[in-house]
Formats: sequence, structure tokens, C-alpha cells
Amino acid sequence: MAPDRAVLLSRLINIVALLGLIGVLAGSLHLQFGVGEQPCPLCIVQRSGMIGLAVGPIMNLLWGMNPRHYALSILAAVVGAAGSTRQILLHIADPNDPGYGPEVFGWHLYTWALVTFIVAIVGCALLIMWQAPFTAGDRGVLHDAHPLRPLVTGAIVWLSLLVIIWIFIDLAVIGVYILPECGLGECPDDPANTAGLAEPWGWIAVLSAGIVAAVIAAVLERRWKAKQAAGS
Amino acid sequence: MGHPRGPSLLVVMLLMFVVWLVVFIGIFRGWRWIPLLALANLAYTLLVLRIHMTDPIPLNF
Repeated sequence: MAPDRAVLLSRLINIVALLGLIGVLAGSLHLQFGVGEQPCPLCIVQRSGMIGLAVGPIMNLLWGMNPRHYALSILAAVVGAAGSTRQILLHIADPNDPGYGPEVFGWHLYTWALVTFIVAIVGCALLIMWQAPFTAGDRGVLHDAHPLRPLVTGAIVWLSLLVIIWIFIDLAVIGVYILPECGLGECPDDPANTAGLAEPWGWIAVLSAGIVAAVIAAVLERRWKAKQAAGS
Repeated sequence: MGHPRGPSLLVVMLLMFVVWLVVFIGIFRGWRWIPLLALANLAYTLLVLRIHMTDPIPLNF
């Protein structure tokens, strides 16, 4: 495969990975705001691992493809997996323990989190083995000297910015809402649940972050296009 | 088993996310030392996890 095409395919894989991560974060935020289930300290540790997982693909998209970025995501996945493994062990040690929080398709969220972290480790390892994107001299979606096709390049820039800004908004929301639950200290082991927004407002609130991100990404992409046009 | 509550630099869970926000901004701004900060934050996340490991789990099941 030609280096340019390898970079393009690699970017798409990174965008899809970030979309998957957004899905996981959206599920947990829906539980928090829609259902009213407040996150436990171990859940917050796993959320931190999930955000760390996103750092590698974001660096790949903005700085260019580099195996070190995948390595960072692998380390984040190991940290997150340590949190989810700890929580799984806590709840299976006692056979009468019903587990923490609701089940999704028969598994608790921390079990799904462990699956996500393991899939991420395997995925990153496989992508590191694929050398073609690393040898193309990629400098990120915003620094393409000779874009393949303007329309495709514009769409990739917009999509990249959309997923990055969406995760950034989710991260800000997680951070802001930790303050009332935990203050400037440790979070309670078994936080009291709150009244959720109920359906469909829970999902609308969670998905509105995507709409805001799409608009900001469109504005930034237009500015980038104007800068490209002024430069050429 | 309980563990100490209240403000302490070691258990400020908010800090993990504040640092992630700085990491994200740093990636946008192109700060080359950001991977080191990300690594430090992962180490801090592990520390927070360790502090929360107060209940013994029998690992011989």
C-alpha cells in the first residue's frame, strides 16, 4: 500500500477507535445523568484510563502517526484494566455480592470496561506491527503538504476535530461533576444516587455534546481551509 | 474498611481530569513534553487506585 493511502487508512482507524471510546463514555455519562447512578471511585479511575486511551489516537491525528503514541494508549489501557480488574475481583470474591450498578447485556460496566481495555491493547499492538503509516513522514491532519483530494482531506479534518472535541467536552463534563460529588478529596465508596433526567432527556443531554463538537469542528475546519488557501 | 477522607493531594480525584484537560490542550498546542505529563498522570491514576485498595481480596479462589 502507498504510504499516503496507509496514512489515510490509519487515520480512519484512529477516528473509528475514538468513536468507539465516545460510545463507552456516552454510556457511562448516560448512566450518571440520565439514570442518576453516580460513579464510584474505581469507576472514576477507569474513566481516567479511558481518557488516557484516547490520547494516543488524538496525537496520531494531530501530530502524525507514531508507534510511541500507540504505546501511550497501551499503558493507559493497562492502568484502566488494573482498575476494572480490581473492581471485578471485589465483586466476585463474595458469591452473594450482586455487583455494583446496573448490567448492560448481562455484564456490569466494569466488565465491559475490562473488555474495552483488552481490545485496545490488542488493537494498538497490531497497529504498531503495521509499519507503512510510520514511514510516510505524516505530520498530522492539519499539516498535509500535498493532500490526496481536497474533499476527502476536508472530511478527515472535520471528522478528526469532531471526535477530539467531543471527547474533550465529555472530559470537561466528567471533571466538572466530580467536584460536587467528591470535592477536593476522595470520592465516597458508595455515592448516593440522584434523580436522573429520565428518557429521552438523558440521551439528548449526552448526545448534545456531539452536536456542539460537530459545530465547533466545522468552524475550525473552515478556518483551516482558509489558512490552507492563503498559504498556497 | 474505611480510609481517610477530606482534602489531600494524594486523593484529589479531580486532579486526574484537570491534568487530562491540560494534556488535551497541550496536544492541540503542539507542546512536545505532553507525553511525559500523560505518563505522570497515568502514574497518578495508579496511585489513586492503590490508595483505594483497602478491602482485602482472597486471591486463592
